Amino acid sequence: MIRLIRAEFTKLATTRLIYGLGAAMAAFAVLTVAANILDRQGAPPLSADHFPMLVGGPVTLLSGAALLLGILGMTTEFRHQTVTQTFLVTPDRGRVVAAKLVAYPLAGIALSLAILAFTAALATGWLAAEEITPSLLDARLGRVLLGAVLAAGLCGLVGVGVAALVRNQVAALVGVAVWVLLVEGLLMSLLHTPSLGKWLPSAAAAALTNPGGAQLSRLAGALLLAGYALALALAGTRLVVRRDIT
Amino acid sequence: MAVITIQGLTKRFGDIVAVDDLSFEVDQGTVVGFLGPNGAGKTTTLRMLLGLVTPTAGSARIDGKPYRELADPVRHVGAVLEASSFHPGRSARNHLRVVATAAGLPLARADEVLAQAGLAEAAHRRVGGFSLGMRQRLGLATALLGDPQVLILDEPANGLDPEGVHWLRGLLRQLADQGRTVLVSSHVLAEVAQTVDQVVIIARGRLVTQSTLAALTARTDQLVRVRTPQAEALRSLLAAQGIQTELDGNDQLLAAGTTSEVVGKAAAAAGIVIYEMGAERSNLEDVFLQLTSHQGVHA
Repeated sequence: MIRLIRAEFTKLATTRLIYGLGAAMAAFAVLTVAANILDRQGAPPLSADHFPMLVGGPVTLLSGAALLLGILGMTTEFRHQTVTQTFLVTPDRGRVVAAKLVAYPLAGIALSLAILAFTAALATGWLAAEEITPSLLDARLGRVLLGAVLAAGLCGLVGVGVAALVRNQVAALVGVAVWVLLVEGLLMSLLHTPSLGKWLPSAAAAALTNPGGAQLSRLAGALLLAGYALALALAGTRLVVRRDIT
Repeated sequence: MAVITIQGLTKRFGDIVAVDDLSFEVDQGTVVGFLGPNGAGKTTTLRMLLGLVTPTAGSARIDGKPYRELADPVRHVGAVLEASSFHPGRSARNHLRVVATAAGLPLARADEVLAQAGLAEAAHRRVGGFSLGMRQRLGLATALLGDPQVLILDEPANGLDPEGVHWLRGLLRQLADQGRTVLVSSHVLAEVAQTVDQVVIIARGRLVTQSTLAALTARTDQLVRVRTPQAEALRSLLAAQGIQTELDGNDQLLAAGTTSEVVGKAAAAAGIVIYEMGAERSNLEDVFLQLTSHQGVHA
């Protein structure tokens, strides 16, 4: 199992995707820090208190990046038919999916932590220029990081699960985008009650990335998202194991 | 001893029967050509043998086990399927390292098989820029990674230039001399004729014949073409003597494995009129075409 997970990391490290995604996220981190510091009309003056908020700027997008990694980690195999070789090496397909369910969430977490470290360094530098010294021991910073790790890990899991179910790369990417941007919004307005809307996957993810504005507690959000991820992964694995690879 | 055992293998895709009750065996240390026209069911058969496609009925086993139950498949069986199954953005060497990592093989094997496949120069290039022939070589390199005793190659000569085909023949011969078992598919008999010991010929998903190449070659030498208005009568006459014949149009008959003398005497004795007669020499490819199209007429 360990070697299968290592093989997934080798796959990830030997194409351009992860580097491009990392560069894009780093660029986005610069933007969020700049926007959060410069666009402060009517807000209290900048202080060390703002540090956790500055660091947490890219968290939502990072969970999206983890979702993308999960989806691509699975669908790329079908798109380029590398899945044939993968299943020749490991005919037990369940183990292949399991390795992906471990590898891509971990990759998403690693990417998130790297970008957040970069964001923290950036924010520290900017605040230092304003003669403010932030504290790395701020408890809120720990909560931001915990939320980011959980969100990235679980979104990566959801991504692998969705992709195992759909297999087609374009369909999986478009499907997820339409779901997040359109379907959930429609469901929200049709249900008319936010009390039901909060059980949707995006709301569960929001409880992790943006705990202040969400209606679920962080724990409930994490459990709910894990439940969605597990259901998708199980259904996807069943399909991948049974389908013919032609 | 049979290394590969195909038994009553059948695959239906909806209404289409791709492989129809196919049975054959491949013995240890032999190189077997798996032949048939395009769409005959070769690829589907090989994919069932490799556990990628689930048979509708029957079984395909390697050393008595379905592929999916082999303890260490990469060290046991090497396979080349279609040439497109590489990530275009990954280098040849990295592709092999991914496979080696998943299979628990030393990473140094990647460089060894690259050299063996004549790809050492291109090791660090992205596969996306490879020619079809280079992809075939990389596929073969991948198959050799685990130093397997059994090789299953689906149309490995596709896209190879003459030099590549020559190289492939040498490689197959070398693998056979090392006592390995090779099942190699092709839709062109000539590609493999110099290399294989036996042929398994299929058409429309069914077995046409399994024989040694020598037996197949023996079917080529004597062919008598007869033009006669009584083709059907001559046909049953020759059939009674155990001579295989085939009608070619209304008034022509091809008799295999016999001589003009035999046919002429038989026709004279029965009072059959003959307009023209001559001995022909068919080549292996004609036999192959005849065998596979014959199947078509009766299917």
